[in-house]
Amino acid sequence: MDFIMYGLLAVFLPALAVVAVMGWRNPVMLKLGLRNIPRRRAQTILIIVGIMISTLIMAAAFGTGDTITFSIRKASIDALGTIDEIILSARAGSGDQLGTATYLPMERFDRLREELADIDEIDGLAPGIGEIAPTFNPRTSLSEGRMRIAGVAPEYLDGFGGFFLLNGDEVRVEDLGPGEAFINENAAEELEVVPGDEVISIIRGEQVSFQVKGVVRGGGLAGDDANLLVRLDRAQEIFGREGSINSIVVSNRGDEYSGVDLNDEVTTTLRVLFTDREVAAGLKSLLARDDVLQDLEGRQLTAPEDLRKDIQLLVRELREPGLSDEFISVLAGDEVREEIFGAVEATGDTEFARQFFTSIENLAEFRVIEIKRQILDLADGIGSAVTGFFIVMGLFSIMVGVLLIFLIFVMLAAARRSEMGMARAIGARRSHLVQMFVFEGTAYSILAGAVGVGLGLVASIAIVSIANRIFAGGGEEDFQLTRHFEARSAVVAYCLGMVITFLTVGISAFRVSRLNIVAAVRGLPPPPDAGRQAVRGQLMEPVRVLLRPGRFFGRSVVALVSLHPGRALSLLLQSVWAAVTVPAGLAAAVTQLLWGPFSQGWLAVVVGALLTWAGMAGDSAAPMRIGMSLVIVGAGLMVRWLMRRAGARPDFADRVGYTLMGVVGVVFWIIPFNWLQAVFGELQGGIEMFFVSGVAMVAAAVWTVMYNADLLLRGLTALTGRFGRLRPVLVTAVAYPMSAKFRTGLTLAMFALVIFTLIVMSILTEAFGAVGDAETAAGGWDIRANVNINSPIDDIHDSIAADPGLDPADFEAIGGYTYIPVQARQLEGEEQGWRGYAVRAADEEFLANNDVDFKLIADGYGETPGDVWEAMRQDPTLVAVDSFVVPTRGGFGEERFGFKLEGLFYEDESMTAIDIEVREPRAGGIVSLKVIGVLDAAADLFGELGDGMLVSKSGLDDAVAFDVPVTNYRFKLAESADPAAVSRALGAAFRDNGMESRVLQELVDETASANRAFNYLFTGFMGLGLLVGVAALGVVSLRAVVERRQQIGVLRAIGYRRGMVQLGFLIESSFVVLLGVAIGVGLGTVISYNIVNEIQEDLETVRFAIPWVQILIIIGIAYVFSLITTFLPARQASRIYPAEALRYE
Amino acid sequence: MPDLIVRATGIEKTYDTGTVKVNALRGVDLAVARGEMVAIMGPSGCGKTTMLNCLSGLDDIDAGEVVIDGVVLHDLPDDERSDYRSRSMGFVFQLYNLLPVLSAVENVEMPLLLSGVNASNARRRSMEVLDQVGLADRARHLPAELSGGQRQRVTIARALINQPSIVWADEPTGDLDSETAAEIIDLMTGLNNSNGQSFVLVTHAIEVGNSAHRIVRMRDGEIVDDGLADGQRNARQAAL
Repeated sequence: MDFIMYGLLAVFLPALAVVAVMGWRNPVMLKLGLRNIPRRRAQTILIIVGIMISTLIMAAAFGTGDTITFSIRKASIDALGTIDEIILSARAGSGDQLGTATYLPMERFDRLREELADIDEIDGLAPGIGEIAPTFNPRTSLSEGRMRIAGVAPEYLDGFGGFFLLNGDEVRVEDLGPGEAFINENAAEELEVVPGDEVISIIRGEQVSFQVKGVVRGGGLAGDDANLLVRLDRAQEIFGREGSINSIVVSNRGDEYSGVDLNDEVTTTLRVLFTDREVAAGLKSLLARDDVLQDLEGRQLTAPEDLRKDIQLLVRELREPGLSDEFISVLAGDEVREEIFGAVEATGDTEFARQFFTSIENLAEFRVIEIKRQILDLADGIGSAVTGFFIVMGLFSIMVGVLLIFLIFVMLAAARRSEMGMARAIGARRSHLVQMFVFEGTAYSILAGAVGVGLGLVASIAIVSIANRIFAGGGEEDFQLTRHFEARSAVVAYCLGMVITFLTVGISAFRVSRLNIVAAVRGLPPPPDAGRQAVRGQLMEPVRVLLRPGRFFGRSVVALVSLHPGRALSLLLQSVWAAVTVPAGLAAAVTQLLWGPFSQGWLAVVVGALLTWAGMAGDSAAPMRIGMSLVIVGAGLMVRWLMRRAGARPDFADRVGYTLMGVVGVVFWIIPFNWLQAVFGELQGGIEMFFVSGVAMVAAAVWTVMYNADLLLRGLTALTGRFGRLRPVLVTAVAYPMSAKFRTGLTLAMFALVIFTLIVMSILTEAFGAVGDAETAAGGWDIRANVNINSPIDDIHDSIAADPGLDPADFEAIGGYTYIPVQARQLEGEEQGWRGYAVRAADEEFLANNDVDFKLIADGYGETPGDVWEAMRQDPTLVAVDSFVVPTRGGFGEERFGFKLEGLFYEDESMTAIDIEVREPRAGGIVSLKVIGVLDAAADLFGELGDGMLVSKSGLDDAVAFDVPVTNYRFKLAESADPAAVSRALGAAFRDNGMESRVLQELVDETASANRAFNYLFTGFMGLGLLVGVAALGVVSLRAVVERRQQIGVLRAIGYRRGMVQLGFLIESSFVVLLGVAIGVGLGTVISYNIVNEIQEDLETVRFAIPWVQILIIIGIAYVFSLITTFLPARQASRIYPAEALRYE
Repeated sequence: MPDLIVRATGIEKTYDTGTVKVNALRGVDLAVARGEMVAIMGPSGCGKTTMLNCLSGLDDIDAGEVVIDGVVLHDLPDDERSDYRSRSMGFVFQLYNLLPVLSAVENVEMPLLLSGVNASNARRRSMEVLDQVGLADRARHLPAELSGGQRQRVTIARALINQPSIVWADEPTGDLDSETAAEIIDLMTGLNNSNGQSFVLVTHAIEVGNSAHRIVRMRDGEIVDDGLADGQRNARQAAL
């Protein structure tokens, strides 16, 4: 982001400086440009509104991203306090249980402390125990299933700060008695604990009670989630772990914010220290192969500076004998490791890769988790993704804003055409006219940009407030966004807005400066090809632009030699100026040079064909689509050019060529995606395709309408025969906008674009709303429940039967599984590294009663989901994976950070079974499994089943050296049972097991409603473009009143009533708005239909449905606001006195 | 007593710009007989156009009374005055003042449509009048596709389409070359003779004035002379 800011400043500041120098050199044009601003106040306000929308949208997107980044960062830092790294044992001991961290003896910690004593970067090292136990408060009868009992050693608290009560008083852990504990504020809130209360935890089946001595502030060693703090020796005693600990936390020098800066240094030091030198030596000899070394050398070339040095060092060390600390240190670096993984995979030697990845897992005794760095990076990643998403969503509005700026300046130019012609007649150069507009545009944008940033901030505050409300409604009360806006974002949004405005103003100013002086002065239509040079002149222009600085410099030298220092200085300045403006001049010259071949069509066809080819070669949809569109445009232009050459009437040739290009363009963009695939093959496209396709199809449709407007007008004339005296009003109201094709086309495009995006968002929201079908998402289960891994239920059927609050008849089936984090790799895959994944080891009843559907079933494993579940029951080596590990062809947002299957896509129609290996990281045993099915995304979409492959529980017994208790339950209820009541009863009955249960239907509904709310939020954000459209209509109407003043006088003279004048303006706006709405609704519906059809192939529950009410509301809002904006100019027009209007010239 | 179509008495009109007050008309009296063609002449700023605007109801008056064909014009509310203009008056202006977005025939039929005539009748009559002014073959052309003289003919056709009892023309030849101007004058006098409609013309051009029945000369917002035009005087003398 800093890079972007400096980059933009590097463009913006010089551009501003150039404008300032232009103003200084030409104060007359500066004055003329600036004097235009107060001429028409209402118009100025609309211009500023239009310009600021782009800045507003960008500022809102950045503001929202900043807030999200800041909130996650703040939450992480609040939660971690001064803890920067966590050290865990990398190898499981025999007494370890699944789900708990591995224990190590306290003596090992003491040794470690001595080993680390000399490391200045570390100012605190604390041993501890953290175990989860269900806990309840008998006084309030409230329970917390996941209370963390933290054992804290008081003698090792240096560097971590102390513990503080909510009133700020410091308390000491050493003052706690054996039966006493502190509770952190989150836990106290959960259980409504007050000091003095007794809380009871269920530990190893026993009730252990603690008297709460005080409620302490959360964060750091006091934890962020529900935590009960006891002395370490007491924790060791109650967990039966005398003399052991299961975590070591590290505090780096500095406070909670600055400590993270030492993260890399400390982590590397610790990793080197913890490395097993024997394994490292083995790895060294394993890696010292020519193919690996060559690959690594190749990688240094493209690597960033620091990484390149590390790879160089690694390669050097690999070529030398012996094992140095440098080698270990480099090997411990995460980035270098990624490069080594890449090099190992690139060898294609599967056996070698397997050996390497197995060895590297055993490299260290301890694992060092850079917890704070990881969470902060995650925060930054999420923040930047959110910003990107909002920017993409806002692209349409930004585009509409750009069109408005362009429209405004073109109209301003039209209004001032005669005075500009006059200025040219008395000696003003074209560049002077450009400067005049640039001065005016700069003044508007400086002001509008600042207002836009301010309003963008307000918009981001609104977005954050709504998001907070959605979080609260979706059960995420704990996470709330804290408003935050970085000055850097303001600078970027402001500069981006200014750069866009500069470009638009520059282009429109250049366009208007090509006026024909006589035609402009006399108010005649511009002659064809006005302002175009002869071909020879065009060819020479780029050379002239390049030579200009040298020419001035040469003349300056001559002037100096001739002893005219003043003139020499002036020429030198002109030379500098010419050099600075070379890029702009060159761009203009090249554009003009290429305009001829482009307007004949063949250049567009050639460029388009090349782009199409590039897109197909690179499997990328955007270049192919854009290329084909260019080919279509070129073909239309060629037809037009050839017809003209063949002697056809120019207007007829234009109509045929342009209509061809428009109609074929629309058809090309609306044909279903799978038809295109049949011709162009499978192409990858991301969310940017939404923007590209929207702009392309709206442009094509508007183009077609505008070039056939006379047919529309004729039809309307015929239709309005019966309207009697209203007929002339209707006819003129349509004739006026259709005669100003350029401005009507732009306004129409703006409305159509905005309505298009809103319609697509609405239909997709509706379509995905249908996914919230609990039956599909929940796999036929009614209730889900989790219990604490430390207090599992021995036999849930017996327990239910024994509990008086539960009726076994209410339960049709009870399935269970255990969630085990594992590492996985695909046997035949290119990637041979162990990647993080999870196993859901399910019991018989779960597999027998699960109704979750499959997207893909491997050949030979049956036809129906039931066949797959049955096969998995019969053969515990067969597994079904969730849809997250299967890549999609679209590929948007699928960064690889965990296990992913290779060789198949979610969209495929069939699959063959895939062999994988799974390894529990601490126990180390490897199990071979076979993937025979991919679960339907609907089951994952709502996170109901969560991620992880499903496998029969018995299949993992070999791999996991410890007990695998069931922690997750699913209940299928009898028809007569009330899910909410049963869920409550389950929670009460299994309180000691820490059971937390939810009715799945409620969960699915909540998720669907939160999704819908977010979609409405995005729709609202995209609706900002509507403001621009409405402002455009206001500008156009205001302009029309001024331009048509005399004609209004004539109309009034020949019998138009006041009301008719007013009505005419309103009908005119209505015509543009309704035509825009029709195009937007039509195209939006068609493209949504295509999108939904495409998604349906992967997600059958998505249904195409048109949310009529919402669409009518959108249309209503667009229409009413447009009428309101037009009403004032219309009223103003109707009040013009005929005699006064006729006098006006 | 001749049959008067316009009877204006004591017309006063003052423009107040806030800083300056201009007495554009100072108690003007004027009468126009049915079928008469009257030219109003005088130097720039003497109040000719103001008088035409006030007499035709395009502008309000500060004092006096304008009676057109028995109707006290300024007593009518704005909408009724608009309707009256569309039914009973025709207008020709210096800068043609055609609607640029409509074709010649659409411009001509506009007053008929405003009077509630149905579309097909309006189109038929418009074509007839365009034929009368010699432009039937240009009916579908936009104003920008016509010459200055042709545009003024279209304006005249529009002024005559609803068979008004009076046609107001403000500098009808002001933007035309002398040859085209002569054609337009001939057209107007011909129509005046054949249709018996009254014409009130504001003009600088003496040829236009001479083709009228009467010339009213103005200076500083007052009528300073009202007499037969040269052409009429000569014709009368010749007849005597």
